[in-house]
Amino acid sequence: MDSQILKIHQQLVDKEITCTALVQDKLAQLKQNTHNTVNAMLDTMALDLAAKVDAKIANGETIGLLEGIPFGIKDVYMVQGTLTTASSNLLKNYKAAYTATAIQNLLNAGAIPLVKENCDSFGHGSSSENTIFGAVKNAINPDLVGGGSSGGSAVNVAKNYTVFSIGGDTGGSVRQPAGYNNVYGLKPSYGRISRYGLMAYASSTDCVGPIAQSIEDIRIVLNVMSGKDIKDQTSYASAEISQAQLLNSEGIKTVGYFKNFIESPAIDPKVKADFLQAIEKIKAKGIEVKALDFFESETLVSTYYTLAMAETASNLSRLDGTNYGNRIEGDNLKETYSVTRSENFSEETKRRIVGGNQVLSQGFSDEIYLKGLALRDTISANFEDDFKDVDIILSPVTPNTPPKIGDSLKDPHAMYLSDAYTVGFSLGQLPTLTVPQGTATGLQITAAKHNDELVLKFANFLKDTI
Amino acid sequence: MSKIMTVDILSSIKGAQPSEAVNKLFDVIKNAQPTNNNTFNNNHNNSVSINDLRDDVVIESSVIEKQIIIENFPKEKNGYLVVSKVIEE
Repeated sequence: MDSQILKIHQQLVDKEITCTALVQDKLAQLKQNTHNTVNAMLDTMALDLAAKVDAKIANGETIGLLEGIPFGIKDVYMVQGTLTTASSNLLKNYKAAYTATAIQNLLNAGAIPLVKENCDSFGHGSSSENTIFGAVKNAINPDLVGGGSSGGSAVNVAKNYTVFSIGGDTGGSVRQPAGYNNVYGLKPSYGRISRYGLMAYASSTDCVGPIAQSIEDIRIVLNVMSGKDIKDQTSYASAEISQAQLLNSEGIKTVGYFKNFIESPAIDPKVKADFLQAIEKIKAKGIEVKALDFFESETLVSTYYTLAMAETASNLSRLDGTNYGNRIEGDNLKETYSVTRSENFSEETKRRIVGGNQVLSQGFSDEIYLKGLALRDTISANFEDDFKDVDIILSPVTPNTPPKIGDSLKDPHAMYLSDAYTVGFSLGQLPTLTVPQGTATGLQITAAKHNDELVLKFANFLKDTI
Repeated sequence: MSKIMTVDILSSIKGAQPSEAVNKLFDVIKNAQPTNNNTFNNNHNNSVSINDLRDDVVIESSVIEKQIIIENFPKEKNGYLVVSKVIEE
């Protein structure tokens, strides 16, 4: 699909539509939708901003590309004065006191926020069922999950309720729901976009990621959000990616894929066959394809979850109901902490906090946590070696098609294993894009760290190849 | 201080127990063989250069920010923000 942003921008400039009518239309669609994608509507803010854009156009002033473009925000981002719940009971009445840098950059560019979007509570889940706002329903088949944790965001984009949405990806939370709903979703290189104002899940892999219907829209939004931010010292300065840069795929000569992903007994035969067919089409274009060795899925998933749980146990320890949140009073401070946390966290969040505290405890940290860190280093070193041999790594997004609503909650271990193809790239902090092509849940395109441009370039090439 | 702290105490979650689903993940790590056992010799070092640290200054919050922080506080009595009773052990 072509760029929705460019199309709407032109319609606004040519006065074919007003921004107010556009925003009203999108707000109405969001309100009426039955996919449980909405945690809170931002009607007043959106309509005020739309009126300003219309006034500018009426005065003959030029407007920027993102000015007046309606978008959605996963409900883990701070937007000053709006409810920011992380889909949790604990923060169901919490109002953000400030605005996340990534979102502020979009607001500065004139984009209009419509909605805080449903997701797994604190990003803890792969199905957007661990939420107090009801399970998110898949855009294509509402009996299936919307994916997670940024499920509401991906479904809103797929249904065209938002022009683009901003998700968050820690272990696949943008890429997997993008795949489940047939849209584009990018996890940029770690640090390319500031995490300031994104509620922390696992700080060493948390990434801000755009979801959209076209590569061009991903590029535009990525450029606006990227950049060094003094409020997140892991962020780095990056060059803008131009449209022209993406048109030329000459630099891409070799593509790799992980043999064991495809040979795994857990992969759906159709996903496997479709993936191999995509590889053949790429070969037919004269690109060399190499089968690479990689870690077993179980090792990847276990390493990721060990580290992510340790980090989330630490990050969420601040949520005790003292300064904010749904405090439940006990006899004393300690009792208040534990009643508040026991009553307000979801089962999945509790499972992860407990897991994290297990591996961080004395006697277990050497055997599990420190070993997990060492494994992560080995995985990263493996990626560095691979990218000496290949320009791009291509993978399926998920081994299987989306599960039915309710199934993931019954078997958490199976849910963890379903992240097998996404978590490795998170551990490597690599740029990875889901494209809605190739298999039923799409393909992932990965490049070396900080080479986000190459990922978009290859996606452009793939669009016309398979 | 040789008190053993169980995960329910460490997590401040009543009755919390390690789960089978998560323990299965940890078993994989216990049995894995990383080629590099030096966890600090890593390839993804995100530390900040000492020349790149932000200024050590107090930044005043805006009026609206302070107002929202107070609004978020769970309990208020006679103009004071109330916390639970702290016990000494």
